[in-house]
Amino acid sequence: MLHALSALAPLAAALAFQLPPQLPTVALDERMRTDLGLAIGDTVELAAASGAPGQRMVISAFTRRTADPSEVARAEYKVRVHLTDLQALLRYGDRVDRFAVVTHDSSAREAAVRAINARAFGFRAYPSADIAVETGRTFAVINRFHRAIGVITILASAIFLLCIMLLRVEERRREIATLRLIGLSRRTVERAIVVEAAAIAALGAFVGTGLGAVVSAVVNRHYQALYRTPLVFSLVTPDVIALAVALSVVLGLGAGWLAARRLTGRAPLTLLGR
Amino acid sequence: MRAALAVSSLLRNRARTALAVAGIAVATAMLLDMVMLASGMRLSFRDLLDARGFQIRLSPKGTLPFDTEATVGDASALVAAVAAVPGVAVVAPNLGAQLIAPRADGAITVAAIGVVPEVQGDFALRDGRLPQSGEVVASPAALQALSRSLGDTVTIADGWDPQLRTVREAVVRRIVGVGRFYYLGADQPVVALPLSDLQASAQGARADRISSAMVRIAPGRGVDEVAAAIGRTAPRVSVLTTAEAVSQADERLAYFRNLAFILGSVSLAVGFLLIATLMTVSVNERIGEIAVQRAIGVAASRIVQQIVVEGLLLSLLGGVIGLGLGLLTARYLDHILGAFPGLPPEIAFFVFQPRDAFTSLGLLLLAGTFAGVLPAYRAARLPIATALREEAVA
Repeated sequence: MLHALSALAPLAAALAFQLPPQLPTVALDERMRTDLGLAIGDTVELAAASGAPGQRMVISAFTRRTADPSEVARAEYKVRVHLTDLQALLRYGDRVDRFAVVTHDSSAREAAVRAINARAFGFRAYPSADIAVETGRTFAVINRFHRAIGVITILASAIFLLCIMLLRVEERRREIATLRLIGLSRRTVERAIVVEAAAIAALGAFVGTGLGAVVSAVVNRHYQALYRTPLVFSLVTPDVIALAVALSVVLGLGAGWLAARRLTGRAPLTLLGR
Repeated sequence: MRAALAVSSLLRNRARTALAVAGIAVATAMLLDMVMLASGMRLSFRDLLDARGFQIRLSPKGTLPFDTEATVGDASALVAAVAAVPGVAVVAPNLGAQLIAPRADGAITVAAIGVVPEVQGDFALRDGRLPQSGEVVASPAALQALSRSLGDTVTIADGWDPQLRTVREAVVRRIVGVGRFYYLGADQPVVALPLSDLQASAQGARADRISSAMVRIAPGRGVDEVAAAIGRTAPRVSVLTTAEAVSQADERLAYFRNLAFILGSVSLAVGFLLIATLMTVSVNERIGEIAVQRAIGVAASRIVQQIVVEGLLLSLLGGVIGLGLGLLTARYLDHILGAFPGLPPEIAFFVFQPRDAFTSLGLLLLAGTFAGVLPAYRAARLPIATALREEAVA
C-alpha cells in the first residue's frame, strides 16, 4: 500500500511558523533529505496517484532504511504516516492490510494464534517465525547458491594447492635425494615435507584471512554507499575464519603428503638422475 | 616442431600436467559460469519481455509494471488515446488483483489477471481456448491447488466479509483454458479472465482501472520515437521500453553481475598463476636442456616460442575441458537459483551463448600466453656457459 505513494510531490519548503498547526505529520525516508533537499518542518503533499488530489503533511522525522536484504535493490522511497491519515488519503475505509500482536510471553504465542484463527474470519494469524521462514525462502536460495560456489572454489583451491606443493617438492628432488642418501628415513622426509606444507598453508590462510577482511570491508563500504543501506553484505566471522584456516591446513597437509609420497617412492639415485 | 617439443615436455611430467590441466579446467569452468551469469539474466529477461512481441510497457506514473498495487483510472480513454498514437499497432491493457478461491478445506489466494483476450500478452494457451465473459484460463498450479480440470467450474471471490463470515462477491466461472503465464512463478495459482469481468468486481472499485498495458508498435517504427509520443499523449503513466525495463532489472540484479565479475576475475587470476608457476618451475628444471639447445645454435626466439606454446597448450587443453565442466555446473547452479519464489520459469540466470565460450577461452588463452612470457624471457636470456657449467657440476 505504501508503494502507492510513489507519486510523492514535494512542495516548496515552507517555514515552520507559516504552517497551519492542524496538518498531519509524516516521517520520510532519509534518502529524500539529500535527494530532494527536504528538512524537518517542511511541508510535502502526498497523493494516492499522480495527479490525484493530495494531502499536505509536515515532515516530522526522517527514518533510516532497515537492513532488509529483500529491499536493498529497490530504489523507491518509503514514507510513514499515521494509519488514519493513510486510510483517509487512500479512501481505504476502516481497513488494514495486517497487524501485529504482542503476547505476554512466548508460551502464550501458540495459544494466541490458535484462538485468533478459531474466532477470526477473513484473515489468519501466523507466528512471526513462520513468516520469517516464508520470506526467507529467497535467501535460502541465495545461501544454497553461495554454498555451491564455495564448493567449486574449494575444489579449485585444492587442485591449485596440490599442484603448487607438487611443484615445490619436485623442485627439491635433489635435496631430498641427498637427505635420503645421508641416512634420513623415508618417513622423516615425508614428515618434514608435510610439516612444511602445513606451515605454508597456514601462512597462506593467515594472509588470505587478512586479504578477505580487507576485501570484505571494501565490498561493504561500496555496496552500502551504492544502495544507501546499513545492510552488511559481507561478514567475516570467527566461524568463517576457523573454517577457512582449517580447510587450508587440511588441504595443505593432504597436498604435502601426496607430493611427498610421490617423491619418496622413488629411489634417491633416480631422483638425482643417475 | 615447436608444438611437438612442447607436447613432449608436458608429457615428461604427466602427473603435474594433469593437475595443472585440472586446475585450469576448474578455473575455466568458473570463468565461463561467471561470464554466463553476468549476461544470462539480462538476456533471458529481455527474451521474456520480447516473447509476445510487445516493445513498450505502460504503468501508473512512477511505478514499474506490477511492481506495486497502483492502478490507473479512466483506462478506456487512456487505451484509446495510446492506440491513436502514430506507430502503435496494438495496446493490451491488463489489471491485476488477488482473489479468493474457496475449496473444501478453506480457501486459497489466487492471482487474477484481467485481460483483453484477443490481444493479451500475459499467457500462452496450453490447452482449451481464450476466455469470454464468465470464463477463465487457469495455470496448472491453480488447477492442482483447486483440484479442478479443464471444463470444470471454479468459485472465485473478491474477498472476505467478516460480518457475514463468508466470502464476498463470489462468482462461478468456467475453466475454458490452461495457460502458461509468462510473468509469474510456475508454482503460483493464477487465473486470467476478461478485463471487463475483473473491472466489474470489488463493488465498482476496479471500474475502468488497469494495472498496466503492453504496446506493440507497427513494423518499421522506432521504439524510442513511439515511446516518446506515448509519453506526451499519456502523462499519467510511465512509459518503459524493453531496453529500459532490462536496464531497471539490471540495477536490481547488480549483485549477481558484481559477483560474476569478482569470481570471474579470481578464476582468471588462479588460471594465470597456475600456468605461470608451472612454466617457471618447468623452465628452472630444464635450464641445462635449454642451455644445450642454445649452445648448439637454437635461436632464443625459438626457445621463447616453445615455452609460450607449452603454456598455450596447457591453457587450451584445460580450457576445452573447462568449457564442458562449466556448462554442467552452470546447469546445476541455474537449477539452484531457479528455486527463487515467484520466478517465472522462462527466466534463467545462466544462458549459454557461443560468445561466452569464446570470451572465456580467449581470456584464458591470453592469460596462458602472458603466464608463459616471463619464464620464456628468462630462458632466452640464460647465460649459456654459466648454465652449462652449473648443470655439469650438479
